[in-house]
Amino acid sequence: MDQDIIDLREKYLNQDFDTTPFEIDPKKTVEYARLCGETAPRFLDPADADFQASPTYIASLMGGRTMPKDFPVKGIGMDAGKGVECLAPIRPGQTLNGKTHLHDIYTKTGRSGRMVFVVSRIEFYDNAGKHLANSDSRIVIREKG
Amino acid sequence: MSIESISDVEFGVDLPAFKPDTRLSSASTFAKLVGWNAPRFNDHEAAKKEGLPGAMIPGILSQGYLVAMIHNWAPVANVKSIDTVFRAPVIADDDHTIIGVVTDINEDDKLVEIDLTVKNSKGETRVFGTAMIEIP
Amino acid sequence: MLLDLHTHSIKSDDGRAKVENYCQWIRTKNLELDGFVLTEHRQFDNDSDYSALAKKFGLVILKASEVETEYGHVLVYGVTKALQKEFDFAYTKNPLEMVIEASEAHGAVAVPCHPGRPKVGMFAHTEELGIPKGVKIIEIFNGGSRDQEDQIAIDNAIKLGYKGIGGSDSHIVSHVAHCATRFTQDIATIDDLVAALQTGEFEAVHITKPHAPIQL
Repeated sequence: MDQDIIDLREKYLNQDFDTTPFEIDPKKTVEYARLCGETAPRFLDPADADFQASPTYIASLMGGRTMPKDFPVKGIGMDAGKGVECLAPIRPGQTLNGKTHLHDIYTKTGRSGRMVFVVSRIEFYDNAGKHLANSDSRIVIREKG
Repeated sequence: MSIESISDVEFGVDLPAFKPDTRLSSASTFAKLVGWNAPRFNDHEAAKKEGLPGAMIPGILSQGYLVAMIHNWAPVANVKSIDTVFRAPVIADDDHTIIGVVTDINEDDKLVEIDLTVKNSKGETRVFGTAMIEIP
Repeated sequence: MLLDLHTHSIKSDDGRAKVENYCQWIRTKNLELDGFVLTEHRQFDNDSDYSALAKKFGLVILKASEVETEYGHVLVYGVTKALQKEFDFAYTKNPLEMVIEASEAHGAVAVPCHPGRPKVGMFAHTEELGIPKGVKIIEIFNGGSRDQEDQIAIDNAIKLGYKGIGGSDSHIVSHVAHCATRFTQDIATIDDLVAALQTGEFEAVHITKPHAPIQL
């Protein structure tokens, strides 16, 4: 592993750098589920006893920042993948607390230079502090120069 | 066959075919819904000016199709995790095929792992990933 | 003997396949494959021992590496502890010619993979950097290829006199056995594989897209 990446990992991994509240709007979760192709009432019908957001809904929620303010790798960031871990259903109507940290940093080569992959993770908690879900964004940064 | 319990699941079985709604109008509505109102999701010509072959389906919508396919197959399933790698853009208004296959079964924990692939009409993989689901 | 020479497991950062599930998949689907080689990204997996799985499923499971160079990605078969000391497998800008020389010096074989691919394939760089010295084999069938990528590899292999191998470049279980390499002799160990690659008696096969034999 390149030394600068080892240094970045030491400095930035697992340090919360953003906290954002997210209101889970039932109208949005229903429309989200419908556009994805869900047909089950638990995702589409607010009157359903098990009404919940589609498991990947949280992947659409963005915190105030996806990278730490002073993160030194500059370049064009692109969406390389998404991961979602569901620990409990997300109930529309509630407000979640999202805490963001960098979960992983690694590299790959590209034609125009090194690409740095950063996994930015938002951990979602309910008002009681229960951990409900994680959303990982894998961002690839093609370095300038 | 709709899956009702873990005992219904067989290793290697293909999930039923699922046809995603990849129309530009739907992709555009989705992008606006999630606050990604960028031309690359709304307009083929604007996307081409950015060097893309056409307007893109947002990556998280592709991920949503995959989860919907799982629920279509196993309505009782709870998705525990899904991880997708975006290898190439999924272009709106192009026909795409979604493939899901069972690649691991843990009967003790009632967990099933599914390989997921989004392919375009040329059979090229655009998105792949895996999902871990619980079937009570 | 048919081997998939390019697969990734969960040991690779973007791999999602467990090795046991590859075995289960091959056997459940009755795939025409005698085994596979794990080519983890930017590392050699010194620790894992798949011999019990190989025995249980009656498959050959070998270990290799996919390293990175200024010409793109390169598979290295026959990795030893000594070869791992010659260059940093995790480094992303190893010089290709050095990787080839070091591999040969330690009895290994280096094979540029998906060479027709933009950015990470060898022929994306030859116009700027020239034809690298020492290349004898390239991957001409890759399961992740798009558009004309494999054809670019085949055309250049014919032009430059390279031999060609096939590998699926699978990252999930169901993508294994899309491409493979057929050998005339039996292969049970990594030494057997390296020897077979050195003799040149093999043929690349695209299993999911049947094709006429490629004369290289």
